[in-house]
Amino acid sequence: MKLLTSNFLKCSVKACDNSNENFPLRYDANCQLQQDESIDCNPEFLINILERVDWNALVQVASDLGNKSLPPQKPELSPGDDLTDDDLAIIRDMHSLLIQTSIVEGQMSCRNCGHVYYIKNGIPNLLLPPHLA
Amino acid sequence: MLPTPYIKCDYETVYEPCEDSFLLLDGLEQEQSFLQTRFRNQLAIVCELGPGSGIVTTFLMQNDIPHGNGSIYLALDISPWALEATQDAQRRNDCQNRYLSVIQSDLTKCLRQNSTDLLVFNPPYVPAEQVPDRPSSNENDKSQWLDLALLGGEDGMVITRQVLDQLDTILSQQGVAYILFCARNKPEQVAESMRQQGWKVDLIINRKAGWEVLSIYRFIRQ
Repeated sequence: MKLLTSNFLKCSVKACDNSNENFPLRYDANCQLQQDESIDCNPEFLINILERVDWNALVQVASDLGNKSLPPQKPELSPGDDLTDDDLAIIRDMHSLLIQTSIVEGQMSCRNCGHVYYIKNGIPNLLLPPHLA
Repeated sequence: MLPTPYIKCDYETVYEPCEDSFLLLDGLEQEQSFLQTRFRNQLAIVCELGPGSGIVTTFLMQNDIPHGNGSIYLALDISPWALEATQDAQRRNDCQNRYLSVIQSDLTKCLRQNSTDLLVFNPPYVPAEQVPDRPSSNENDKSQWLDLALLGGEDGMVITRQVLDQLDTILSQQGVAYILFCARNKPEQVAESMRQQGWKVDLIINRKAGWEVLSIYRFIRQ
């Protein structure tokens, strides 16, 4: 799963919906990552993503996975239609992190109930065992 | 007419594209400009529940619905075979450069609330005594996975009902849902009860398919 997908996944346990700890999930530091350089950067797409992304959740997940370099505040692009070199640098960084980086194998858990979910072959499994479903 | 994706997978485990799938493609094609206008210049989170072979999500990716510069496609299925087929459909139809994540999930339980902009659902709508249990393993009883894609319990509505009951927490403020029904689901009654709960519900397309009548309704907030 691409890293950006972590911005949309919460714990499947219904009771955890009443907690603020069910999103984002906590990613295991041993998750195996893959970088796919063949995906081209589409700046307009990235600008749209940046606007929508839950930055705090992203910072947390990146940090879980060992990337502590994200700024605490969401980077802002310069106003106006023209992209500056700084803007392009931000967009390229985001592209590399959110789109080119995938979690191939590993696990993640709910910060509220602790339930562990697995990622295998790049596919996250958020199904619950029958007694929790 | 927009192109239809090329699909090839094991139809003993994954639902083979049929009249209902094609009706969904036609309905979404018809809705193309509505969706484009609604999500212009913003990111659209597209979520298909139960993609099966992947034909619908691939069709959306292939034709840039809702729009080209900003759709993230999430395909959620309980069946691992369907997820595999959906990824395969993406590859076969040269949509590798689109953002697709397949996720094994029971409906939308794992999705952050109010994040879905476009929800598409061809549910297990066939009336049956009950909704089958999830098979305990991937390999055994392959046909059981297929049953899950078809059988919808009483009135064929047990699973669809779960989604409708959660629609308010699934969809974003701007969100739109397209859900397919057969006549035995009593869709007009369902639509009316959703209208009473504050939804704007419109029949966008219907068609006689063999001995059943299929229809697709669009749900948005009033």
